[in-house]
Amino acid sequence: MSENTPMVRLHEVTKHYPGAAVPAVLPLSMDIALGEFVVLVGPSGCGKTTTLRMINRLVEPTGGEIWIDGKDVTHSDPDELRRHIGYVIQQVGLIPHMTINQNVGLVPKMLGWNKSRTAERTRELLELVGLQPEHGERYPKQLSGGQQQRVGVARALAADPPIMLMDEPFGAIDPVTRDRLQDEFLRLQERIKKTIVFVTHDINEALKLGDRIAIFAEGSRLAQFATPLELLTNPADDFVTSFIGEGAAIRRLSLLHVGDLRLVANPGLAANVEVGPGDTVAQALERALGRGVSAVQVTGVGPVAVQDLLLASSTPGPAALGAGS
Amino acid sequence: MTATVVSSAGVEELGKETGGRTAFWLLPAIAAALTIGQLAWVRTADLDSIEERSLTNDVVLGNLWEHVQLVVISTAVVVAIGVPLGILLSRRAARHLRAPVLVVANAGQAIPSIGILVLLALIFGVGFKMAVIALVAYALLPILRNTIIGLQQVDEFIIDAARGMGLSRGEILRRVELPLAVPVILAGVRVSLILNVGVATLATYTNAGGLGDLIERGIVLNRMPILVTGCVLTIALALMVDWVAGVAEKLLSPKGL
Repeated sequence: MSENTPMVRLHEVTKHYPGAAVPAVLPLSMDIALGEFVVLVGPSGCGKTTTLRMINRLVEPTGGEIWIDGKDVTHSDPDELRRHIGYVIQQVGLIPHMTINQNVGLVPKMLGWNKSRTAERTRELLELVGLQPEHGERYPKQLSGGQQQRVGVARALAADPPIMLMDEPFGAIDPVTRDRLQDEFLRLQERIKKTIVFVTHDINEALKLGDRIAIFAEGSRLAQFATPLELLTNPADDFVTSFIGEGAAIRRLSLLHVGDLRLVANPGLAANVEVGPGDTVAQALERALGRGVSAVQVTGVGPVAVQDLLLASSTPGPAALGAGS
Repeated sequence: MTATVVSSAGVEELGKETGGRTAFWLLPAIAAALTIGQLAWVRTADLDSIEERSLTNDVVLGNLWEHVQLVVISTAVVVAIGVPLGILLSRRAARHLRAPVLVVANAGQAIPSIGILVLLALIFGVGFKMAVIALVAYALLPILRNTIIGLQQVDEFIIDAARGMGLSRGEILRRVELPLAVPVILAGVRVSLILNVGVATLATYTNAGGLGDLIERGIVLNRMPILVTGCVLTIALALMVDWVAGVAEKLLSPKGL
């Protein structure tokens, strides 16, 4: 396996259900790199969940090839394949008559791990997803929805699979908890560096979580597959523009880093709000607005007027913006 | 149709409300009181010689024991046939067979059991075995149906998640579907048991014994004490069987549901 071998490769994959007039998934090709967080997003019925479920072959593709980690798994033993791919669904699907420990330890047990290793791993995973060891002795229905989905994530991670497939995992959770779980999951991903394929219909969730986002249009057309910043800056077509919705320019500000902008210092300004190159423009603005100042001190550049910061962040560019307004 | 999915939930709820312990022992207490009361009355009553001969301990306990055997053996056979058949019929591959088999099982219950008993006796002769066959035909439906329903009501997302984790179809059946179907299957067993307690009184017509002997003799000889003894013991047995089945349901159902 070379550095460039994609972790997941879909090559001309199609799904055509018998009796259906149109295919659920048109020939689709997609490469997902090791450690990449890819979000599949689109309206209902666009084939994003079907695509996800073809990766672990819960849905058998009608045509094309699926490669995992450099191996063609299109015709391998599906149960064996799935034991090495984490799978999380919106409804969680914990097994109700098994305790949390038993649920999390099920795949390790099937893989033949001994008891102490499984118990150790289970304890470690519960801690990783923010649960207490005593939660392990409870049954799923004794936990809240948010706690259950933490267990769902822990269970998917149990055998340390390199790939995680997640089908709207936070879709059924209240907005406040969802936001917290998303933040926690991003922090978790920084530690575990899994290759993640994540399905959602919520473009904001996609923009928040994904390294790259695949926007599906009706009829399973892959409208654009790009980074969040690229999507907001250069939407491929009208569908992508309308799917992203209002406020693309504002949303870009939380993805743009100050260090990426071409800024010109204005030495005449007094600025005592410090901003680093790793901060996003949104964070810089937040600080400036919070303090009521019109300039910020950008590390390595010097004092910059908030207005200049905004113009440098604008799309498609300062000149056009000026002409337009 | 829906009556075959009898759950004990109502009884348990009642138990919780009225102080579990009293409710828990209520049925066996009634059954014991009925049995003891009846036997005490028989011993003290002024019986004629026919009544005395029909109500000795040997006769009464013998009939009771025959009755219990009829019920237990026929229910065991029904479980041995109904549960595996229900599992097979619940599989996707067998979904076309489900309706016809249920129609036949339904018919088994719709036909009056006295009809089956007499027909079987005419064709195959009388005896214990024939009575068991008739009881099996009659009691198959609740267990068959509840096995199918119990397996089908398992949340599809639980099965999807289990498949996604790499459990094979067989492992899903064994570790997920069957344990989750146990309460519903046991409810079916309970219904079958109780049906069989009642229907087994008819076994007397195929010379298979049971408490039906006492009832039938009481009617034919016009002897109230014999008739009443048969009836009261049947009722007490039904109550006990229901109670034991309920306790078994509670003990055998998986935790966490």
